[in-house]
Amino acid sequence: MKGLLNLQKEFQNYVFKRGERMEREVVGTRRASARTRLGIYSSAYRLRLLEALDTDYPTLRALAGDDEFEKLGYGYIESHPSPYYNMRWYGGELAEFLKITPPYNKHPVLSEMAAFEWIMALAFDAPNDPVVTVEDMSKIPADVWPALVFTPHASLQRLNLEWNVPVFWKALDKKEQPEPPLKNEFPVGWVLWRRELNIYFRSMSVEEAWAIDAMRSGNTFAEICSGLCEWIDELQVAQHAAGMLKSWIAEGIIKEVVVPR
Amino acid sequence: MHGVSLSIGGTDALNRDYLKQLKALADKIEPKWISDHLCWTGVGGLNLHDLMPLPYTEEAVKHVVSRVKQVQDFLGRKILLENVSSYVTYKQSQLTEWEFLAHIAEQADCLILLDINNIYVSSFNHGFEPQEYLNGIPIERVQQFHLAGHQNCGNYIVDTHDHPIIDPVWALYEKALKRFGSVSTLIERDDNIPPLKELLAELDHARTIAEPILAKAKAA
Repeated sequence: MKGLLNLQKEFQNYVFKRGERMEREVVGTRRASARTRLGIYSSAYRLRLLEALDTDYPTLRALAGDDEFEKLGYGYIESHPSPYYNMRWYGGELAEFLKITPPYNKHPVLSEMAAFEWIMALAFDAPNDPVVTVEDMSKIPADVWPALVFTPHASLQRLNLEWNVPVFWKALDKKEQPEPPLKNEFPVGWVLWRRELNIYFRSMSVEEAWAIDAMRSGNTFAEICSGLCEWIDELQVAQHAAGMLKSWIAEGIIKEVVVPR
Repeated sequence: MHGVSLSIGGTDALNRDYLKQLKALADKIEPKWISDHLCWTGVGGLNLHDLMPLPYTEEAVKHVVSRVKQVQDFLGRKILLENVSSYVTYKQSQLTEWEFLAHIAEQADCLILLDINNIYVSSFNHGFEPQEYLNGIPIERVQQFHLAGHQNCGNYIVDTHDHPIIDPVWALYEKALKRFGSVSTLIERDDNIPPLKELLAELDHARTIAEPILAKAKAA
């Protein structure tokens, strides 16, 4: 197996970096030299991975422009060999790559758009969880409410954005001419989820973003209320939190409510 | 069920996580066949997302046979191996591609998915006679045919599944039917998808070729 292992290592290196050693392992023909023949694999590798990025990030392409998208895509491909057997996951580190790699790190809007599109795909692929209804909630006795814990729908995704990239995304989705994204005065919390086959997203107030994160971390209703006191008067906080919860339930964000024993 | 990620010719350990998922899906949908390609897809934990060709050596036969047996034991059923299109010939190859495939199928006791277009593509790229390929494949092991279009780049052909099936591939399909008899046929089209009517016309064409040959075989 050693011969086979070495050949595969050599070939894989060629796909990544080319080089003469692998060319010596392959027969050239009258029609095509060893280099031409091997080049089919190295070119196809780049094209295939770029196509994967293209599928995951159509709005990033629109934002960056075709040439710049291909440049950043090939930059990502050079620095990110795929450890995944399912190509679905290949583009998952693109937002981080754009965030830290010059010259893209000077344009944080690119990284934010990538992050937004990626979690949108995650929301879309998430399992078909059931959702809690307002009627389910009405059956829960009032005295156990403080200890309630909520399981979010599998599609629920959260991120904070400094740029209003969802507005750009929405304009393109409606086939309108998008305005270049603007920087917000402060980072805005966004939530995304899926119902049936549709993706929904909206921005949130600071306290709602905190509450939804607390809910996702497994905090009880009482803990969420207590945390919300940072923004809301103690006398109104329970009612406010219940109102938020009601809207999450109506939106299909909550999979189940765990009632304590 | 048809896969591209088994990497049956790979030198990394078989991916147990992938196999478990494959088995779980197979248990759920109970497919007639589970097939994948006679190739490797990456080494050292990386994936090239391509069907990389194997050298046709005894070492590779032995290696693949042992892995096919492990996979078949794990899945509790025989798998089908498909011949891939290839663009390089390794200097170290000692066997023809059809000998390589036949040896593996016989020794591992697995089945074969014969891609007629891939035979044509590889025959052009490597300069062999496709009929000789067909003649070298054991009849009883072939369970399915694949047909597809490709891209002719002049000096070589690339298996792209984005064009209509060309006449020489239809002619080879006819020859394959004559040798292997009534074999389930699937047309692959991944890109540049034409209107459904054109795809159905290709399907009809496949049936038109198959019907007289199969009728004649039945009468005999």
